[in-house]
Amino acid sequence: MDIQALGAVKNYTAARPATEPAPGPKAGEYLANITRDFAATLQESEDTAKAAMTTGADPHTLVQALAQTEMAVEAAVTVRDRVVEAYQEILRMPV
Amino acid sequence: MSEFSNALSVSSSGLLAQSQRLRHLSENIANADTPGYRRKTVPFRTIMDASGTPGMVQTGRVRMDQSELTRIYDPAHPMADDTGSYDGSNVNLMIELADAREAQRSYEANLKMFEQTRQMGRSLFDLLRR
Repeated sequence: MDIQALGAVKNYTAARPATEPAPGPKAGEYLANITRDFAATLQESEDTAKAAMTTGADPHTLVQALAQTEMAVEAAVTVRDRVVEAYQEILRMPV
Repeated sequence: MSEFSNALSVSSSGLLAQSQRLRHLSENIANADTPGYRRKTVPFRTIMDASGTPGMVQTGRVRMDQSELTRIYDPAHPMADDTGSYDGSNVNLMIELADAREAQRSYEANLKMFEQTRQMGRSLFDLLRR
Protein backbone atom coordinates (compact mmCIF):
# COMPACT_ATOMS: atom_id res chain seq x y z
CA MET A 1 0.00 0.00 0.00
CA ASP A 2 2.75 2.38 1.05
CA ILE A 3 4.84 1.51 -1.93
CA GLN A 4 1.90 2.05 -4.22
CA ALA A 5 1.31 5.55 -2.79
CA LEU A 6 5.00 6.33 -3.24
CA GLY A 7 4.76 5.21 -6.85
CA ALA A 8 1.77 7.48 -7.40
CA VAL A 9 3.69 10.46 -6.01
CA LYS A 10 6.63 9.64 -8.22
CA ASN A 11 4.39 9.35 -11.25
CA TYR A 12 2.83 12.69 -10.42
CA THR A 13 6.16 14.47 -10.14
CA ALA A 14 7.27 12.86 -13.38
CA ALA A 15 4.14 14.01 -15.19
CA ARG A 16 4.28 17.56 -13.87
CA PRO A 17 6.79 18.97 -16.37
CA ALA A 18 4.51 17.83 -19.19
CA THR A 19 1.69 20.04 -17.95
CA GLU A 20 3.89 23.07 -17.30
CA PRO A 21 3.00 26.11 -19.38
CA ALA A 22 5.16 26.59 -22.46
CA PRO A 23 7.78 29.33 -22.13
CA GLY A 24 6.70 32.55 -23.73
CA PRO A 25 4.51 35.49 -22.89
CA LYS A 26 2.26 34.85 -19.92
CA ALA A 27 -1.52 34.88 -20.24
CA GLY A 28 -1.58 38.19 -18.40
CA GLU A 29 0.71 39.77 -21.00
CA TYR A 30 -1.47 38.44 -23.79
CA LEU A 31 -4.53 39.89 -22.14
CA ALA A 32 -2.80 43.22 -21.63
CA ASN A 33 -1.82 43.33 -25.32
CA ILE A 34 -5.34 42.44 -26.42
CA THR A 35 -6.83 45.06 -24.14
CA ARG A 36 -4.42 47.68 -25.50
CA ASP A 37 -5.35 46.77 -29.09
CA PHE A 38 -9.00 46.89 -28.17
CA ALA A 39 -8.69 50.32 -26.61
CA ALA A 40 -6.75 51.56 -29.65
CA THR A 41 -9.45 50.26 -32.03
CA LEU A 42 -12.17 51.95 -30.00
CA GLN A 43 -10.23 55.21 -29.87
CA GLU A 44 -9.63 55.12 -33.63
CA SER A 45 -13.29 54.57 -34.44
CA GLU A 46 -14.30 57.34 -32.06
CA ASP A 47 -11.88 59.73 -33.75
CA THR A 48 -13.16 58.69 -37.18
CA ALA A 49 -16.78 59.16 -36.12
CA LYS A 50 -15.96 62.58 -34.71
CA ALA A 51 -14.15 63.57 -37.91
CA ALA A 52 -17.08 62.33 -40.02
CA MET A 53 -19.53 64.38 -38.00
CA THR A 54 -17.55 67.58 -37.78
CA THR A 55 -15.33 67.81 -40.87
CA GLY A 56 -17.31 65.57 -43.22
CA ALA A 57 -14.64 62.89 -43.55
CA ASP A 58 -15.19 59.99 -45.92
CA PRO A 59 -18.18 57.85 -44.83
CA HIS A 60 -16.46 54.68 -46.08
CA THR A 61 -13.77 55.10 -43.46
CA LEU A 62 -16.43 55.62 -40.81
CA VAL A 63 -18.31 52.47 -41.79
CA GLN A 64 -15.08 50.47 -41.85
CA ALA A 65 -13.98 51.76 -38.46
CA LEU A 66 -17.39 51.03 -36.95
CA ALA A 67 -17.43 47.50 -38.38
CA GLN A 68 -13.95 46.88 -36.98
CA THR A 69 -15.02 48.19 -33.59
CA GLU A 70 -18.11 46.03 -33.66
CA MET A 71 -15.93 42.97 -34.24
CA ALA A 72 -13.51 43.99 -31.51
CA VAL A 73 -16.31 44.59 -28.99
CA GLU A 74 -17.93 41.31 -29.90
CA ALA A 75 -14.64 39.47 -29.42
CA ALA A 76 -14.05 41.16 -26.07
CA VAL A 77 -17.56 40.40 -24.84
CA THR A 78 -17.28 36.77 -25.90
CA VAL A 79 -13.95 36.33 -24.16
CA ARG A 80 -15.27 38.04 -21.03
CA ASP A 81 -18.31 35.78 -20.98
CA ARG A 82 -16.11 32.72 -21.28
CA VAL A 83 -13.80 33.90 -18.52
CA VAL A 84 -16.69 34.61 -16.16
CA GLU A 85 -18.24 31.27 -17.01
CA ALA A 86 -15.00 29.45 -16.25
CA TYR A 87 -14.67 31.33 -12.97
CA GLN A 88 -18.20 30.36 -11.94
CA GLU A 89 -17.43 26.80 -12.90
CA ILE A 90 -14.51 26.86 -10.48
CA LEU A 91 -16.68 28.40 -7.74
CA ARG A 92 -19.27 25.65 -8.16
CA MET A 93 -16.65 22.92 -7.86
CA PRO A 94 -17.43 20.58 -4.96
CA VAL A 95 -14.53 20.68 -2.53
CA MET B 1 -8.98 39.00 -36.29
CA SER B 2 -6.35 41.03 -38.11
CA GLU B 3 -7.06 39.20 -41.38
CA PHE B 4 -10.69 40.16 -40.99
CA SER B 5 -9.85 43.78 -40.39
CA ASN B 6 -7.45 43.70 -43.36
CA ALA B 7 -10.26 42.37 -45.52
CA LEU B 8 -12.51 45.15 -44.25
CA SER B 9 -9.86 47.75 -45.12
CA VAL B 10 -9.38 46.36 -48.62
CA SER B 11 -13.13 46.26 -49.27
CA SER B 12 -13.52 49.77 -47.98
CA SER B 13 -10.72 51.02 -50.25
CA GLY B 14 -12.55 49.37 -53.17
CA LEU B 15 -15.77 51.14 -52.19
CA LEU B 16 -13.96 54.47 -52.01
CA ALA B 17 -12.28 53.94 -55.39
CA GLN B 18 -15.56 53.03 -57.08
CA SER B 19 -17.30 56.06 -55.63
CA GLN B 20 -14.49 58.30 -56.88
CA ARG B 21 -14.87 56.71 -60.30
CA LEU B 22 -18.60 57.42 -60.21
CA ARG B 23 -17.87 61.02 -59.28
CA HIS B 24 -15.74 61.55 -62.39
CA LEU B 25 -18.30 59.75 -64.53
CA SER B 26 -21.03 62.10 -63.36
CA GLU B 27 -18.67 64.99 -64.11
CA ASN B 28 -18.35 63.67 -67.67
CA ILE B 29 -22.09 63.28 -68.07
CA ALA B 30 -22.76 66.73 -66.63
CA ASN B 31 -20.31 68.26 -69.08
CA ALA B 32 -21.43 66.27 -72.11
CA ASP B 33 -22.63 69.47 -73.80
CA THR B 34 -19.78 71.71 -72.71
CA PRO B 35 -17.81 72.88 -75.77
CA GLY B 36 -14.19 71.72 -75.70
CA TYR B 37 -14.66 69.39 -72.71
CA ARG B 38 -12.52 66.25 -72.74
CA ARG B 39 -13.85 63.26 -70.86
CA LYS B 40 -11.90 62.22 -67.79
CA THR B 41 -10.79 58.67 -67.16
CA VAL B 42 -9.80 57.31 -63.76
CA PRO B 43 -7.05 54.70 -63.57
CA PHE B 44 -7.05 52.23 -60.68
CA ARG B 45 -3.89 50.97 -59.08
CA THR B 46 -2.90 48.79 -56.17
CA ILE B 47 -1.26 50.58 -53.27
CA MET B 48 2.32 49.30 -53.20
CA ASP B 49 3.15 50.65 -49.82
CA ALA B 50 4.73 48.63 -47.03
CA SER B 51 3.04 50.72 -44.33
CA GLY B 52 -0.58 50.16 -45.32
CA THR B 53 -2.66 47.03 -45.70
CA PRO B 54 -1.41 45.09 -48.75
CA GLY B 55 -3.72 44.87 -51.75
CA MET B 56 -5.68 48.07 -51.22
CA VAL B 57 -6.83 49.85 -54.36
CA GLN B 58 -6.51 53.54 -55.08
CA THR B 59 -7.45 55.85 -57.92
CA GLY B 60 -4.49 57.36 -59.69
CA ARG B 61 -4.13 60.68 -61.51
CA VAL B 62 -7.16 61.58 -63.57
CA ARG B 63 -6.36 61.54 -67.28
CA MET B 64 -8.01 63.41 -70.12
CA ASP B 65 -9.26 61.38 -73.03
CA GLN B 66 -7.23 62.72 -75.97
CA SER B 67 -9.58 61.44 -78.66
CA GLU B 68 -10.89 63.97 -81.14
CA LEU B 69 -13.62 66.38 -80.09
CA THR B 70 -16.87 66.19 -82.02
CA ARG B 71 -17.39 68.97 -84.52
CA ILE B 72 -20.84 70.46 -84.21
CA TYR B 73 -22.24 72.47 -87.07
CA ASP B 74 -24.03 75.54 -85.78
CA PRO B 75 -23.18 78.84 -87.51
CA ALA B 76 -25.24 80.78 -84.95
CA HIS B 77 -23.08 79.58 -82.05
CA PRO B 78 -20.77 82.31 -80.66
CA MET B 79 -17.78 79.91 -80.76
CA ALA B 80 -18.34 78.83 -84.35
CA ASP B 81 -15.35 79.36 -86.67
CA ASP B 82 -15.49 80.34 -90.34
CA THR B 83 -16.68 76.87 -91.37
CA GLY B 84 -19.70 77.38 -89.13
CA SER B 85 -18.91 74.62 -86.67
CA TYR B 86 -17.33 74.43 -83.20
CA ASP B 87 -15.65 71.85 -80.98
CA GLY B 88 -18.08 69.99 -78.77
CA SER B 89 -17.03 67.55 -76.03
CA ASN B 90 -15.76 64.03 -76.70
CA VAL B 91 -18.13 62.49 -74.18
CA ASN B 92 -20.12 59.53 -75.46
CA LEU B 93 -23.14 59.18 -73.21
CA MET B 94 -23.52 55.49 -74.03
CA ILE B 95 -19.98 54.75 -72.84
CA GLU B 96 -20.44 56.86 -69.70
CA LEU B 97 -23.69 55.13 -68.78
CA ALA B 98 -22.21 51.68 -69.32
CA ASP B 99 -19.20 52.67 -67.23
CA ALA B 100 -21.48 54.01 -64.49
CA ARG B 101 -23.37 50.74 -64.44
CA GLU B 102 -20.09 48.87 -64.14
CA ALA B 103 -18.99 51.11 -61.29
CA GLN B 104 -22.27 50.40 -59.55
CA ARG B 105 -21.84 46.66 -59.96
CA SER B 106 -18.27 46.78 -58.68
CA TYR B 107 -19.42 48.85 -55.72
CA GLU B 108 -22.06 46.25 -54.93
CA ALA B 109 -19.47 43.49 -55.19
CA ASN B 110 -17.20 45.28 -52.73
CA LEU B 111 -20.15 45.86 -50.42
CA LYS B 112 -20.97 42.18 -50.57
CA MET B 113 -17.40 41.27 -49.64
CA PHE B 114 -17.54 43.71 -46.72
CA GLU B 115 -20.77 42.15 -45.49
CA GLN B 116 -19.41 38.66 -45.93
CA THR B 117 -16.28 39.44 -43.95
CA ARG B 118 -18.40 40.77 -41.11
CA GLN B 119 -20.61 37.73 -41.22
CA MET B 120 -17.63 35.38 -41.14
CA GLY B 121 -16.19 37.18 -38.14
CA ARG B 122 -19.51 37.03 -36.37
CA SER B 123 -19.96 33.31 -36.97
CA LEU B 124 -16.42 32.72 -35.69
CA PHE B 125 -17.34 34.38 -32.41
CA ASP B 126 -20.61 32.45 -32.33
CA LEU B 127 -18.51 29.31 -32.39
CA LEU B 128 -16.54 30.55 -29.40
CA ARG B 129 -19.73 31.39 -27.53
CA ARG B 130 -21.08 27.85 -27.58
